[in-house]
Amino acid sequence: MRDQITKYTGKLLADRSASADGIAFAAQDDTLITAGAPELAALAGNTLSRLNSLALVAARPSLPFADFLIARAGQGEECIVPQDTETRTFLHDIPFLRRQDLVDDPAPVLAKLLGNRKGVIVEGVGIVAVGAITVEQAFINYSSVFHSTFVKYLQDVLADGFRLPGEREAFDSFRREWLRPLTAAGLDFIGALSLEKEEILAEIERVGRYTVERGLVDSFFGNISATAGELIYISQTAASLDELKGCIDPVPADNSSTTGITASSELLAHRKVYEQTGARVILHGHPKFSVVMSMLCDRKRECAIKDCWKDCPHVRNLGGTPVVAGEIGAGGLAKRVPPVIGASGTAIVYGHGVFTLGREGFGEAFAAMVDVENFCREEYFRQVDRIKA
Amino acid sequence: MFGWTGKLLHVDLTRGTCERREIPIDILHAYLGGRGLGVRLMRDYFRLGPFDPDLPLIFAVGPLCGTNSPTAARLACVSRSPLTGTIYDCSAGGRFAWRLKAAGLDALFITGKSQQPVFLSIQGERAELHPAQSLWGKGVKETVAALKEHGSVTTIGPAGENGVLFANIMMGEGNSIGRGGLGAVMGAKGLKAITVQGDGVTGVADKDRFDAARGDVMRLFRASPVIFGELGIAEYGTPALVDLMAQRRMAPTENFRSTFFAESGNYSGPAIRKECGAKKEGCYGCPIQCKKASAAGEPLPEYETVNHFGALNGISDLHAIVKANSLCNELGLDTISAAATLSAFGEARGRFPDAAEVASLLADIAYRHDQGELLSLGSRRVAELLGKPELSMSVKSLELPAYDPRGAYGMALAYVTSNRGGCHLRAYPISHEILRKPVPTDRFSFSGKARIIKIAEDVNAAVDSLVACKFAFFGATLEEYGELLSAVTGVEYGPESLKAIGERIYLTERFYNCENGFSRSHDTLPQRFFEEAGSAGEGIDVPPIDRARFDEELQKYYRIRGLDVEGGFAGRNLLAELP
Ligand code: SF4
Ligand SMILES: [Zn+2]
Ligand SMILES: [Zn+2]
Repeated sequence: MRDQITKYTGKLLADRSASADGIAFAAQDDTLITAGAPELAALAGNTLSRLNSLALVAARPSLPFADFLIARAGQGEECIVPQDTETRTFLHDIPFLRRQDLVDDPAPVLAKLLGNRKGVIVEGVGIVAVGAITVEQAFINYSSVFHSTFVKYLQDVLADGFRLPGEREAFDSFRREWLRPLTAAGLDFIGALSLEKEEILAEIERVGRYTVERGLVDSFFGNISATAGELIYISQTAASLDELKGCIDPVPADNSSTTGITASSELLAHRKVYEQTGARVILHGHPKFSVVMSMLCDRKRECAIKDCWKDCPHVRNLGGTPVVAGEIGAGGLAKRVPPVIGASGTAIVYGHGVFTLGREGFGEAFAAMVDVENFCREEYFRQVDRIKA
Repeated sequence: MFGWTGKLLHVDLTRGTCERREIPIDILHAYLGGRGLGVRLMRDYFRLGPFDPDLPLIFAVGPLCGTNSPTAARLACVSRSPLTGTIYDCSAGGRFAWRLKAAGLDALFITGKSQQPVFLSIQGERAELHPAQSLWGKGVKETVAALKEHGSVTTIGPAGENGVLFANIMMGEGNSIGRGGLGAVMGAKGLKAITVQGDGVTGVADKDRFDAARGDVMRLFRASPVIFGELGIAEYGTPALVDLMAQRRMAPTENFRSTFFAESGNYSGPAIRKECGAKKEGCYGCPIQCKKASAAGEPLPEYETVNHFGALNGISDLHAIVKANSLCNELGLDTISAAATLSAFGEARGRFPDAAEVASLLADIAYRHDQGELLSLGSRRVAELLGKPELSMSVKSLELPAYDPRGAYGMALAYVTSNRGGCHLRAYPISHEILRKPVPTDRFSFSGKARIIKIAEDVNAAVDSLVACKFAFFGATLEEYGELLSAVTGVEYGPESLKAIGERIYLTERFYNCENGFSRSHDTLPQRFFEEAGSAGEGIDVPPIDRARFDEELQKYYRIRGLDVEGGFAGRNLLAELP
């Protein structure tokens, strides 16, 4: 399990979701092991040994957003309730512990909270997330919490502005220093993908790696596919985009075999998109600014619909990209995305993420996703600046 | 009280009495229902032999039963298995569980032995025993039809009456209480059937909280390719696994001599749909509806059944497999043990049975005619009596289902640590080793598996006590089911507290077994898996399992469980520590 801990420590560093000197893991097989920043490691070990689970990560996020959300929360509130799909589906809500509620040894309280949830936030300490059966699962849960708090904080800033001392400065430094330009420049793609299995698999793996390396999406969230005649090659459910080797299922277009039962939950959406657009490849991920902007709706006040994320019938527009509602998997996403994606080659799903197409290969799909996210990023800051002005 | 009724019906077949009794609330809180409650109620009886008249046969529902909780209209049947000698439980769906709850009962506790065959009828508050002489000897369909106006029916077939060691108890709607031979326990009591009718409702403490939790569960079902995906079990039933297991080279073939059957495509999910016009069926009130029935309404076989009547016996004819399944249902035989016993017998005599022979042998088994007398004892005893004990592919005498342990090391470990013997449904590592839920693990590695198996056994003991369906957990987790449970009962539960309950149940079972003579020597796989390789192919190698590594991981498992090196309790009286 040590190798797993090393690996996921590396991933937290690479995606810059945790501070370099603030990462610790604990894992238990027949014995408990801990690794990483000493204080956090002690906390991780003490907490995990109280849980009937395999692994735990305790890390200080590289951005103070989670702490700001706690500080901005009203008295008496005990959890943060983000509106993105990640949270709605997998986290439900994110409990937190306030600084003033921390005692000498917060492990027992923390274990109690983690007894009911996959991840919690400890103000001034960081995000603590548990993996029921693998170290990877702890990392995934950390990423989900980080993603959700990032998205919610950006939403809240847009809605309510800055309210705490130091908040504006931290936000500005996030904007200037943490964020990096997002570009597809300098990446190699096969121009027109052949029908060769080996080529297709290799290209899907490479594109997956690019999405993570370029900071477009976090490794765990998204899926990728390509068609070749009677087959759809699609990444498997719960696969990391940057580690797709051996995790791509060939699925017959006529459902004559069920080996694809392990394929991504968006298989149906991909299949329908291919049927309706004739595209060769599809790229899907959850870039953060697109997620934030997809949930902005100027009709919210007068609209009678409550569950916008799945019930909104309108097609909105973000820089030429249609935005639709829709639930993961057997929900409405497979119904709503295919009809709108053909025209622009891009679509955004409310609170969820971006789908893009390539007619011949992944170059087009990748560049399109970068463009969508860049547009949303710029639009976001334009709106923030307008509020500030 | 919300969720529970707090009542059990004690039926004493020797004295012919039926009596409602209170179940202490603390016991319900600590063991939930279903498997947990049944196992707890066995505390004073677990040493009794499986055919001892005083041995209880327990049917227990859970606190979610009777509510709109997804997949929870189920019950557990608990007793001691005549096949394995272990404590035994099995979860089953069907209308019966829901009706039992509606009759105001959390459990049925049946002891004694009737001189004449009887059936038990429960009509709300009223419970009576009726003569069943005229039904004795009848098949399942006829019995169910004869008793239908009394409500939901559960019954044994000829196999249970005749003491076949792997006889099932059949639920009238096509579900079964399978594997361990509890049908023979019921038969030995002279109890042919139970009917139940009721109109009570299960109260829900917090309706809004319940609705929110149910919404969370349904969202996770929709996000799970295994459940609601277009190639998932709601579409194709468990035979959706046929193609996958073939591709992964872990489909047990010819008594586990190999792990790939070239003709398995004949009985894959899509093939069954095409050939049999499969339509959706399922347990009462379940949104998944994973069971399939033919156009004529005949239940179609599950994955384990198609593989075992198929590859395991070298049979590729789908219609013969469907027929074998229907025959087992009609006679009240467990399909996995029946097919695996035929396969072991086939290898021992040098020829696997063909399709026609399977049908006649199944009937012989149920009536214990000719070779059926021998075969009715299950593969372990058959192989021993034929002088080839190594040919029984079983653990603790329970025949292994259709997941070759050489293809998934968590599964290998889970088979031997299962308290009821070689069963895939206890730790259910197929979920992560094959289906990637909740996250994937490396199937050809033992690393971390001892802890993973331990945790999963605890989780599933809780699931079996709720009583929810394992398939729900390809999407949802104890987080959402804990919410449902808290909302229904008004008592706070979460994943950790539920796992603690599961651990209590698991250890109690292990303790009963140890007291009855089970130990490390029983926690092992058939030799074949350590010596012979499976079928390689598609770039996958299936070597024999490394025994040293296996033993090392088993010892780790014991340590994690707090057991001694022999897998025992080191003189500790566990029961004295538990509620
Ligand atoms: S998923 Fe299938 S077995 Fe489980 S409760 Fe539903 S119908 Fe029954
Ligand atoms: Zn997505
Ligand atoms: Zn709207």
